[in-house]
Amino acid sequence: MTRLVGAVGRRSLDAFAAWLRVSVLIVDTLAWIVVRPFRGHRLRVRAALEAVVEFGVRSLPIVGMITFLIGVILALQASYTLSKWGANRYIAALVAVTALRELAPLMTAVLITGRCGSAITAEIGTMKVGEELDALEVMGLDPIRFLVAPKLLGMVVAVPCVTLVAMLLMIAGGWAAGSMIAGVDSTVYLHETANALVTKDLTTGLTKSVFFALVICWVGVYRGFEVEGGAEGVGHKTTSSVVTSIFLVIIMDLVFTVLFYLY
Amino acid sequence: MMAPDKSPELVIQVEDLAVDYGRQRVLDGVSFKVRRGEILVILGGSGSGKTTLLRALVGLKQPAAGRILIHGEDAAALTPDELRRLRTRIGMCFQGAALFNSMTVKDNVALPLREHTDLEESTIDIMTTIKLELVGLGGCGDALPSQLSGGMRKRAGVARAMAMDPEILFYDEPSAGLDPIVAAGIDELIRDMQRTFQLTSVVVTHEMESVKLIADRVCVLHEGKVVGLGTLEEINRSEHPYIQQFLARRPDSEGERASAFARSLMGSS
Repeated sequence: MTRLVGAVGRRSLDAFAAWLRVSVLIVDTLAWIVVRPFRGHRLRVRAALEAVVEFGVRSLPIVGMITFLIGVILALQASYTLSKWGANRYIAALVAVTALRELAPLMTAVLITGRCGSAITAEIGTMKVGEELDALEVMGLDPIRFLVAPKLLGMVVAVPCVTLVAMLLMIAGGWAAGSMIAGVDSTVYLHETANALVTKDLTTGLTKSVFFALVICWVGVYRGFEVEGGAEGVGHKTTSSVVTSIFLVIIMDLVFTVLFYLY
Repeated sequence: MMAPDKSPELVIQVEDLAVDYGRQRVLDGVSFKVRRGEILVILGGSGSGKTTLLRALVGLKQPAAGRILIHGEDAAALTPDELRRLRTRIGMCFQGAALFNSMTVKDNVALPLREHTDLEESTIDIMTTIKLELVGLGGCGDALPSQLSGGMRKRAGVARAMAMDPEILFYDEPSAGLDPIVAAGIDELIRDMQRTFQLTSVVVTHEMESVKLIADRVCVLHEGKVVGLGTLEEINRSEHPYIQQFLARRPDSEGERASAFARSLMGSS
């Protein structure tokens, strides 16, 4: 009994300590980005731009291709039901709304987690194992300012941009399948797409993507700082980074979808 | 506790230092002083707490009790900005060199200059070249750390630690993992740096050969406590059983070794 109570207590303390560390990480990163640049601590703009290229530009080919194909799949699956009612022209609305509000932000976030969230954990973890983080600190360079702040900035710029491209390509995929396979007239398809969409669809999707970017970056960084031991620890935490990140992205997606649905 | 000695001769003062890892006390009641321009070697076996002592000295590990004064300033009592400023006046060479693998050797050395000063890029370029020449890596600036040998990486680590012209240099196991010839070269480099720049140096090692070559004074650590402090001759004359055993390179008796092993297994968790 004492053991059980002890175990529960220890677990709770561990969980509390973890939340505390996460909060410190979040507050510290924001301070280095928002407050301290005005007090003489330069923001590493160049590193942030490099992060935009790495997380954004280099993710475009894979994200673009996959979202285009999902557009195709979505259109064909929609046609399967809609054609029974002779309502194939509504494929356009279904694909467009789903793409903007849901699938483009989500798929982009999942793919960037796999491509970049894991890379962030591996990079920081390897630096920790190789005493490089200690070296930074002894040189008087704060790892949060030096490593994390540029990555967070890069992520917050890159993910919404890639999401925007993903939205367009998903609609293009739907249009290609709808007009070439499901037999919807190409101009009708585009007309229906334009009719179905409102500005709120776009803002919903992009708002989500900004928060997904924050989750991917902070989870990646946090797991990286957690690495202990050698190469094995890096591998272990990299896996855990991807799993945690995708889980939190979906939870966050759910919360936002409910909020946007209600209000 | 005595009043802090502000005389310029004493660069580092450690007073009654204790450091914990979790619930385990790894350093206890450690006190010593380092004078300007000398090389102090911290000598000890594995698990003696010598690396922990070094980490505490550079502020990577917080003391549980006691204090460390560097240039008369207590690192634990400084604000983050003051601590950053103090850290530009010290340099540290890590055991595995800890070079940033994504940057060239030259960029590694230039990094502290780029981040802490407003110097022109051309000036930084000249300064980095000088530092690399100094450690004998003149032509290796454009190489990546992974392309260098172990000894060259350590030299690059020294060049990076020297970038800001520090007054104190800390070395963690500088000759670990190197063959005797390369290790002797590193020892010579440590000596050269100290002679040329009047650099105060603190070197952690367990290699007696290095100690003979570089030490002005030696501080022997055993199980988290200082068991000997003085010049090499004084240490050689010491009658402390651990020092005798260490110098004679005599193994523990079977029973002691087994219990020490058990302790290290239980204690480290």
